[in-house]
Amino acid sequence: MQKKMAYSFPDEVLEHVFSFIKSHKDRNAVSLVCKSWYEIESWCRRKIFVGNCYAVSPRMVIKRFPEVRSVEVKGKPHFADFNLVPDGWGGNILPWIKEMAGAYPWLEEIRLKRMVVTDESLELIAKSFKNFKVLVLSSCEGFSTDGLAAIAASCKNLKELDLRESEVDDLSGHWLIHFPETYTSLVSLNISCLGSDEVSFSALERLVGRCPNLRTLRLNRAVPLDKIASILHRAPQLVEFGTGAYAAELRPDVFSNLAGAFSNCKELRSLSGFWDVVPAYLPAIYSVCSRLTTLNLSYATIQSRDLIKLVSHCPSLQRLLVLDYIEDSGLEALASSCKDLQELRVFPSDPFGVEPNVSLTEQGLVAVSLGCPKLQSVLYFCRRMSNVALVTIAQNRPNLTHFRLCIIEPKTADYLTLESLDVGFGAIVEHCKDLRRLSLSGLLTDRVFEYIGTYAKKLEMLSVAFAGDSDLGLHHVLSGCESLRKLEIRDCPFGDKALLANAGKLETMRSLWMSSCSVSFGACKLLGQKMPRLNVEVIDERAPPDSRPERCPVEKLYIYRSVAGPRFDMPPFVWMKDEDSALGLS
Amino acid sequence: MGRATSSSSSSIESSNHFAFSTTGASSSSQRDLSTDLRLGLSISTFPYAREQPSDWPPIKPQLSQALAAEEENECNSATFFVKVYMDGIPIGRKLDLLAHESYYELIRTLEYMFNTNIIWAEAEVDGDHYEKYHVLTYEDKEGDWMMVGDVPWEMFLSAVRRLKITKC
Repeated sequence: MQKKMAYSFPDEVLEHVFSFIKSHKDRNAVSLVCKSWYEIESWCRRKIFVGNCYAVSPRMVIKRFPEVRSVEVKGKPHFADFNLVPDGWGGNILPWIKEMAGAYPWLEEIRLKRMVVTDESLELIAKSFKNFKVLVLSSCEGFSTDGLAAIAASCKNLKELDLRESEVDDLSGHWLIHFPETYTSLVSLNISCLGSDEVSFSALERLVGRCPNLRTLRLNRAVPLDKIASILHRAPQLVEFGTGAYAAELRPDVFSNLAGAFSNCKELRSLSGFWDVVPAYLPAIYSVCSRLTTLNLSYATIQSRDLIKLVSHCPSLQRLLVLDYIEDSGLEALASSCKDLQELRVFPSDPFGVEPNVSLTEQGLVAVSLGCPKLQSVLYFCRRMSNVALVTIAQNRPNLTHFRLCIIEPKTADYLTLESLDVGFGAIVEHCKDLRRLSLSGLLTDRVFEYIGTYAKKLEMLSVAFAGDSDLGLHHVLSGCESLRKLEIRDCPFGDKALLANAGKLETMRSLWMSSCSVSFGACKLLGQKMPRLNVEVIDERAPPDSRPERCPVEKLYIYRSVAGPRFDMPPFVWMKDEDSALGLS
Repeated sequence: MGRATSSSSSSIESSNHFAFSTTGASSSSQRDLSTDLRLGLSISTFPYAREQPSDWPPIKPQLSQALAAEEENECNSATFFVKVYMDGIPIGRKLDLLAHESYYELIRTLEYMFNTNIIWAEAEVDGDHYEKYHVLTYEDKEGDWMMVGDVPWEMFLSAVRRLKITKC
């Protein structure tokens, strides 16, 4: 006899309650409570996040979530940023757009990361979604300014067009002209990745002038410094602004126009751009510096003393991205001026040089860890490190959540003791209990992975290069890191054993990348056969992996969980188990 | 760097059905070339040859492109030369203001250039010997002659057209 559940709330009430639950994790949890909650949640979910475009098929998504307004999809693995994923590997968004064009006519937002987006996809978006509002293409490629013209021409309600770090085929700066004169709803425009070709400047000025809600504007390098004032005068309400090339011959009238225009922008909180900086023009931004929370100087090749002057004008700074020209002295100045600093990224100005070109060492990072109590996120390129420094950093800043250290020369030992940096990184994972992301570098043995497996219980993403001695290292991580979602490894002596012994773990993660390691083709086949819900992709540009003995290591390996089965768009250099052999074994 | 030759780590449960063996990794920073040769792999020349592998260090292409372009523009420092005249000397000099970071540096250069003591807004003056001093003034955008040193250095740079050193 079935006992009927007395529902306390009708569906409409549950739906209303669920509408307050925004995070994907929470909505996923809601859907697991019971069948009726699963169903209600499914048809009232408005935003979906697909962390791996091959983990699920668009049809499956559409079937479960029929009323979606906002979609976020990610494609290639992170190491694609550093040219490790060959061109043509995959991640094309077109199949998704085609399915969604029919199923989600009211789709408003598409956010893509590391995906291949062709003009055809952009044209389809422009044509299919009448109320389209937000397009964010982060590190995408495959499209040209023609596709952008289609978006500009058709999307009457577009609010956000953000092309951050995408590779765009810059055919013509005139795509901007395709925004009709009646179009006034722009809130955010990021074209900083566009090439050196002229963007139609008069079209840009007119666009900016007629969009009163514009809050974010990031220009590309080609927009000259002497045009900034006229843009800013048309948009004094800007909150985030990215300059173009910040260089011109020093002319007092240009300087004072620029300074005046900046001083008008009372809401400005974030600045970026700053290619080719002429330091004498930096004081033009001093009037806004006291309110700045984000400053991105990643392209500003200026010396330490100019950086120190600038940074000491910015006491409210929360996020700083800068080149290593800032040097240890600049970081010490940062540590004493910017007590609200939460995130620091220091990039190498001479990444391929053998000798250091600037005086930036571990000391700068130690100073910031000591002086900035709110520091949570670090990305730091340097040429030397010591265990003592890492231990100090860990003890100073147990609140770190993201710690990415890149010692430029692989396998560099502790410069003081010539030992490995196991103990230093061990201290990081031991003290920083909320650490979610970690990148290792320097000389490291299996011991560091033992520390990581033991302590890094909240770690979600780990990046490893040129480290470890044996499969023991990989085993420690796979068996110990309970929260691990993404693991990317290159040039480490990890082989078959740890992988096969922890096969089940791989289904609890989004993905595993291993390149230039020692995993054999035979192990890959075995893994693919044993784990039907894992896609085990062997990427080998040299020759088909089955043309060599099975014990030969594969060049690159990308393993990810999927409910969609093998993908249909694999290029010739990607091999995956075929359906027949999987069926044959079961 | 010593390495254990057997799986002696105590953190691995003894019930493992496989034994970890070392891959014979050497203690130096060299790759194990013998293994590479056995497996018929092409040997990577990194880190021996200094040809740039485009995948290390892990920086995004936008940054490496921007840095490469910057190297081409190394001689991109701006200059700002102004004329400087001293009372009684018909021939003037020229001075790059951007080669100086502050008033103090400018005064020092001028005192050396013209071999005199210069009064400006922050100078300390010995009251009895006025005749030995010269005053530093500048012509601003509006054509007015002002004493040097009252406004911040950067503001001065944006306003100054030329300098004059006059007798007290």
